[in-house]
Amino acid sequence: MAVDLDRCTGCAACVIACQAENNVPTVGEEAAGKNRAMHWIRIERYYQGEFPNPRVKFRPVLCQQCDNAPCEPVCPTYASYHTSEGLNGQVYNRCIGTRYCANACPYTVRTFNFFNPFWDKPLHLQLNPDVSVRQVGVMEKCTFCVQRIKASEIQARAENRELREGEPTPACVQSCAPKALVFGDLNDPESEVSRLARSPRGAKLLGELGTRPKITYLERESWDGQNS
Amino acid sequence: MERRDFLKFGVLTGATATLTACEKPAQQLARFVPEEDFVPGVAASKPSLCTLCPGGCGVVVRVMDGEAEVIRNGQRGLIQMGLAKKLEGNARHPVNRGKLCARGQAGLQVTYHPDRVQNPLKRSGPRGSGDFHEIEWQEALSEVASKLEELRSQNRADSIRFITGNMRGQRRQLINKFLSSLGAPPALQFAPLDEPVLRRANQLNFGRAILPSFDLERSNYVISLGADFLGTWNSPVSQSIGYGEMRRGRPGNRGKFVQVEQRMSQTGANADEWVACSPGSEGLLALGLAHIMVKEGLRPGQPETAQSREAVEGLRNETYSAAQVASRTGISANRIERLAREMAAHPPAVALIGGAALAHTNGLCNALAVNLLNLVLGSIGLPGGMFFTPPISIMKGATSPNDNSDFVSYFRSGHFEPTEILFVDHANPVFATPQGWQVSERLKQIPFLVSFSSFIDETSVLADLILPDHSPLESWLDDAPESGTSEAVLTLAAPAMRPLHNTRAMPDVLLELAKSLGKGVSEALPWKTFEEMLQRSFREIAQAERCDLSDGFDKVWGRVLEQGGWWDGECHIPPPQTTSAQFRAPEFVPPVFDGGEQEFPFYFQPYVSEAFLDGSLAHLPWMQELPDALSTVSWGSWLEVNPKTAEKLQIRQGDLIRVRSRHGTLDTPALLNPGIAFDVVAMPMGQGHEQFGRYARRRGANPMNVVAPIGVEQVGSLAWASTRVSLSKIGQKRRLCLSSGSLYEKEEQPGLR
Amino acid sequence: MVKTADEVQRDLLRPVVETPRRAVSAMVGLALVVLAGFSAWMYQVYTGIGVAGIDRPVFWGFYITNFVFWIGISHAGTLISAILRLSNATWRRPITRCAEVITVFALLIGAMFPLIHLGRPWLAFWLAPYPNQRGLWPNYRSPLVWDFFAINTYLIGSLIFLLLPTIPDFALLRDNLSGWRRKFYAVLCLGWRGTQRQWRQLESAMHIMAILIIPVAVSVHTIVSWDFAMTPVPMWHSTIFAPYFVVGAIFSGIAALIIAMVFLRSSLHLEEYLNPRCFDNLGKLLLVMSLLWFYFLFAERLTTWYGNTRSEVAVLWLTMRGPYRDLFWVMVGCNFVFPFPLLAIKKLRTITGTFLASVTVVIGMWIERYLIIVPSLSRKFLPYAWGTYRPTWVEITITGATFCAMALLYLLFSKVVPVVSIWEVKAGLRVPSSAIMDESS
Ligand SMILES: Nc1nc2c(c(=O)[nH]1)N[C@H]1C(S)=C(S)[C@@H](COP(=O)(O)OP(=O)(O)OC[C@H]3O[C@@H](n4cnc5c(=O)[nH]c(N)nc54)[C@H](O)[C@@H]3O)O[C@H]1N2
Ligand SMILES: Nc1nc2c(c(=O)[nH]1)N[C@H]1C(S)=C(S)[C@@H](COP(=O)(O)OP(=O)(O)OC[C@H]3O[C@@H](n4cnc5c(=O)[nH]c(N)nc54)[C@H](O)[C@@H]3O)O[C@H]1N2
Ligand code: SF4
Ligand code: SF4
Ligand code: SF4
Ligand code: SF4
Ligand code: SF4
Repeated sequence: MAVDLDRCTGCAACVIACQAENNVPTVGEEAAGKNRAMHWIRIERYYQGEFPNPRVKFRPVLCQQCDNAPCEPVCPTYASYHTSEGLNGQVYNRCIGTRYCANACPYTVRTFNFFNPFWDKPLHLQLNPDVSVRQVGVMEKCTFCVQRIKASEIQARAENRELREGEPTPACVQSCAPKALVFGDLNDPESEVSRLARSPRGAKLLGELGTRPKITYLERESWDGQNS
Repeated sequence: MERRDFLKFGVLTGATATLTACEKPAQQLARFVPEEDFVPGVAASKPSLCTLCPGGCGVVVRVMDGEAEVIRNGQRGLIQMGLAKKLEGNARHPVNRGKLCARGQAGLQVTYHPDRVQNPLKRSGPRGSGDFHEIEWQEALSEVASKLEELRSQNRADSIRFITGNMRGQRRQLINKFLSSLGAPPALQFAPLDEPVLRRANQLNFGRAILPSFDLERSNYVISLGADFLGTWNSPVSQSIGYGEMRRGRPGNRGKFVQVEQRMSQTGANADEWVACSPGSEGLLALGLAHIMVKEGLRPGQPETAQSREAVEGLRNETYSAAQVASRTGISANRIERLAREMAAHPPAVALIGGAALAHTNGLCNALAVNLLNLVLGSIGLPGGMFFTPPISIMKGATSPNDNSDFVSYFRSGHFEPTEILFVDHANPVFATPQGWQVSERLKQIPFLVSFSSFIDETSVLADLILPDHSPLESWLDDAPESGTSEAVLTLAAPAMRPLHNTRAMPDVLLELAKSLGKGVSEALPWKTFEEMLQRSFREIAQAERCDLSDGFDKVWGRVLEQGGWWDGECHIPPPQTTSAQFRAPEFVPPVFDGGEQEFPFYFQPYVSEAFLDGSLAHLPWMQELPDALSTVSWGSWLEVNPKTAEKLQIRQGDLIRVRSRHGTLDTPALLNPGIAFDVVAMPMGQGHEQFGRYARRRGANPMNVVAPIGVEQVGSLAWASTRVSLSKIGQKRRLCLSSGSLYEKEEQPGLR
Repeated sequence: MVKTADEVQRDLLRPVVETPRRAVSAMVGLALVVLAGFSAWMYQVYTGIGVAGIDRPVFWGFYITNFVFWIGISHAGTLISAILRLSNATWRRPITRCAEVITVFALLIGAMFPLIHLGRPWLAFWLAPYPNQRGLWPNYRSPLVWDFFAINTYLIGSLIFLLLPTIPDFALLRDNLSGWRRKFYAVLCLGWRGTQRQWRQLESAMHIMAILIIPVAVSVHTIVSWDFAMTPVPMWHSTIFAPYFVVGAIFSGIAALIIAMVFLRSSLHLEEYLNPRCFDNLGKLLLVMSLLWFYFLFAERLTTWYGNTRSEVAVLWLTMRGPYRDLFWVMVGCNFVFPFPLLAIKKLRTITGTFLASVTVVIGMWIERYLIIVPSLSRKFLPYAWGTYRPTWVEITITGATFCAMALLYLLFSKVVPVVSIWEVKAGLRVPSSAIMDESS
């Protein structure tokens, strides 16, 4: 995935899209006050300077799907593991809730079910049947909408063809009006995401840690051309 | 009961529902979502419409089968039915092209909200007590009918009034037809998010009382005066799409975006250059910029009419010289000059105005000034500039100006027009108007109040009868977006799912009333259902617009429903007409503020909340838990204060602050915001509900409690940014649900928590 | 005056044979607190781990602090007694067993915390490799799984190490008691008859265990430290952690031992056996560890400050200047400033002196564990995700209960087994009396 910070407006459409697609529960005021809200993607807001010359930088942060993911080796039950497709998988049924992976993740994108999730009826009818609901004590995080990836793969196989550009599309990407989020196949050098990943504005978040994230952030540029 | 039996029973009631559908409008929908279509676990996509803001985005609903507990013929039961699972943008819709904002997606929770009104309710306690009891539809409708009949027979139909929210298309037509056939005055419109000031300005300049659209994709320089056009203003999604392209869509050509305001908005946060000007001086800045371009002969040449030339000449007046403007806007003269030259040097450039800039007493001259600036920039009706979405020729009134002024005069005119029966649909004026208007008191004087609300809110709690409408996903919808697209658009959508509760579509209820009222009325409203009305009106439109109906109307109708509406390509619509421009000589009147500078040292600036808009979405848990873009606060409200100001007043993050104006007080925790002027305090709208369901009730504070009931000159709509306030600590702290651990990323500032 | 073997035997058997009222009421009191802690845990299991104060990003709090703390305490016993045995320090004779007991109980308590802190404790057994039809095994790359093995090895080793030398004393009890207790000890002493051969086997077995247990003990806290050092968390990801933790462990271990000895001494009237001489020697050891601890702290802080990595320095200043400032300096006071003079100055290195020093050290070391875990987690790399942590009553109750559990287990043990090894002390009688008898008495 590529994230163009020069396009992102901080509108948070992606946050709700993800919440709706992946049955991410709401935790209520008290828990949210304790920083226990569970959004799988967050919009980081950083000020630079102050009035009369404030600047703000928005940065959507989701699981970076690291190739060299610190969250994986530490998991005692293989609940956090590397899939054959190179995704960072999370097997809810296997998770026993040590929260070790969440400490190890430098991006703090893993969210934890401190209590059983709850939907006041009939809000439960909004739940997406393609995604399982997680139990108390289970760790979860962005999956790159693996259910959509699988669905597209199955579809493509059924029509025996390759996946097309723009298929699958994760919920957050789909909702992003300024097209700040771009998803695609990094193995295909022609795909738009590969093109963007090669951009001179491109950088990995906390790249210095050697986690080899799969997400490239395209730095915001000031009008006269310098990165800012 | 065994689950299996429950299923059987469910299927039965489902069937009866389908059978009785023909006479019972409540069950009409069954026909449009045939359950047999559903393969368990396989999603179907149904086009729909987002009704949450005036943007009018097209929606695609992901529908999957499931088991829902529903009410059918007074019985509760579990049935298999298609359930909306997710809302996404309609990729074919010209306004939002497949995208949907956070609010639009949360619209799903309106349908499934646990506190929806599930049956018709009749008031049993005193007004406002919230004590209601359920009644049958027949009983409720006959009560309303007899009331109407009575008034009609006494020739007092003019005491029948109707308040609607921001509403376009046939729904609005139907209401007005209903009223006129009774001899009642047309519906009053209450739309707090609307920009009546801008409409008036466009009426004066372009003869079009509608909101402008912008071709941001192709503009190289965008200056926005207070318009939160990427967040909540006008048509946010289409504007965001354009913005993305303006920034990065054209390799090697990145447009510049300048935002002018006092409190950095979500939109302002994205600006290449953020300019603070003193409140209400936006128009003057616009004139100052235009002045320089005219004086220095920088303006890109363009054809002009005699009197627009006159208006432009007026700009040479020295009162608009950089020096003069600098002194009154607080922006340095050379900065103004630089901006003007940049703009002129990077055509096409375009100026937007909205939000607080229009909510000052001088809002109208600010708006006119920006129109003039656009004229000077030569950005009217040209690529990369502003233009007007072409209307659908014969949809008289469908996109007619939703001007609040009639509503305002209704409540504010010295003598409150005697009203015997008032209908309220999709509006919550009690919550969204300043105390000073005394809306609640006046509604209480009305003998009979009927609400179509799906929720018990501050207004419907006063009602004698609540006739709950279907949720949008359960309804037939139509809309003609007035901005955000260059082609005429008519959004049309069938229900995406069957109703969950014992509710009825408001239009069908009116039709039923009409039928029972008989003479005069039923002829005026000949349709059995709203669906039929939509189909008929569409047939007229299709003919008027010379649609190609060669393969039969039903085919076209089917195609339209399948794609979620009908727009250019379907039909041939004349291109935008903006030549009839009527520009007037520039003038600038400074804003007037309520409250003395000594006693009330701070400008109070409420702003439209990204999550709740005017408060109409505060009942949705997803929106409540969404961290605000800049404050990152969720589940509450707050007052934004500049850290330096806070230091002076010894205010710390989370201190409860008492905000006092001449018209009221409110208490809310302080939030330090480096992006706000020293003498301005800002507060999001939308919280502080007394009613409105478990998630919104008794949460935060409502800025309207302190807003002064001043009107915008020559327009009359609420000038909600012209209040001055004083701040005082009340010695308590309130924990803010802050999701950000630090204001800054690089600098060593301490994290504010 | 020198005690005779019979006197020694009488003195040391007394606590086992008779139970004063005080002891009973003490046990009841402790039991109640332990019960409270247990109920708190059950409440947490039932309601959800959310009743603890942990949040995002501080996913670990009191429970892991207690885990590290108690495992640390467990290093008292076995390690010390093993070293003293090998170095054949004669003054060890009266104290080895008290020490080894601490190890076993502290381990049991410490090992509970990883389970208490789990989100789904009922699935804790997945940490264990056991054959299952799913062919699923634990992830051997995870330090938590290393912990599982290390702690179990250490626990088993320490148990053997503790029980081996009790065999002759069990035999003694068998011979001196009657009724069911006789039968009971007859079983425990595994048919000990005191033949030359048995003595030789016992000696060599103990010698082998003493050698084996030292690397195991060192490995345990090394691995505990790796739970942190293996993850890229500011100020965790450091090579100094392993030795730092081991030193800290022995440090707190000795302190715990001294405290335990003081209580045993008074409550079981073992004044002549747990005598000032023992405390003086242990005091010297404690002094050495205190200096070592301070050295490690200094080395860790200096390199972090000098290296000046943004994320690491953020944590450094958070603990030394920020909200954790007070705790930090209390820790330094408890672990170094206060105990140092008490232990360094011979006059002050009395029983009371060493006791006071030990109490502060135990407190200080608990704080140290807390300051290692919480600040680092609350200041990870992305400032937006910085957070705070506040423990809840559940965590506090459970923590308090474990200290009482320790005391309770200790008391119960002393009712079943002579906490001072009778035969070893007797054996000591054959060496110069000064070795065990205090000059003054
Ligand atoms: N309420 C309810 N009951 C059902 C069903 C339902 O949909 N709802 N579905 C039915 C059907 S179709 C099926 S197939 C069964 C499935 O019933 P189960 O076989 O129980 O399937 P799950 O509960 O999904 O997962 C099995 C359990 O394995 C545990 N687990 C995960 N990883 C490991 C591991 O490494 N080792 C061990 N030992 N355990 C592990 C998980 O905690 C989980 O509780 O349930 C049946 N019963
Ligand atoms: N994350 C996660 N995913 C899983 C699993 C897991 O453990 N975790 N488990 C997997 C396993 S083992 C299984 S078996 C599948 C189960 O997944 P599914 O096969 O989807 O099972 P359900 O969702 O229980 O049932 C499917 C539909 O059948 C409908 N239904 C119920 N009764 C009847 C009936 O009498 N007639 C008809 N026509 N429809 C009926 C239900 O309303 C529901 O809509 O999920 C798999 N997916
Ligand atoms: S949807 Fe796109 S623009 Fe909006 S916040 Fe997310 S990434 Fe940014
Ligand atoms: S971002 Fe965090 S959770 Fe995602 S793969 Fe990397 S380490 Fe794991
Ligand atoms: S919390 Fe779950 S996923 Fe994370 S390490 Fe522990 S068991 Fe693995
Ligand atoms: S990729 Fe899917 S799971 Fe990940 S953040 Fe986006 S929507 Fe959520
Ligand atoms: S902008 Fe958002 S809220 Fe408004 S119509 Fe579009 S989707 Fe709905």
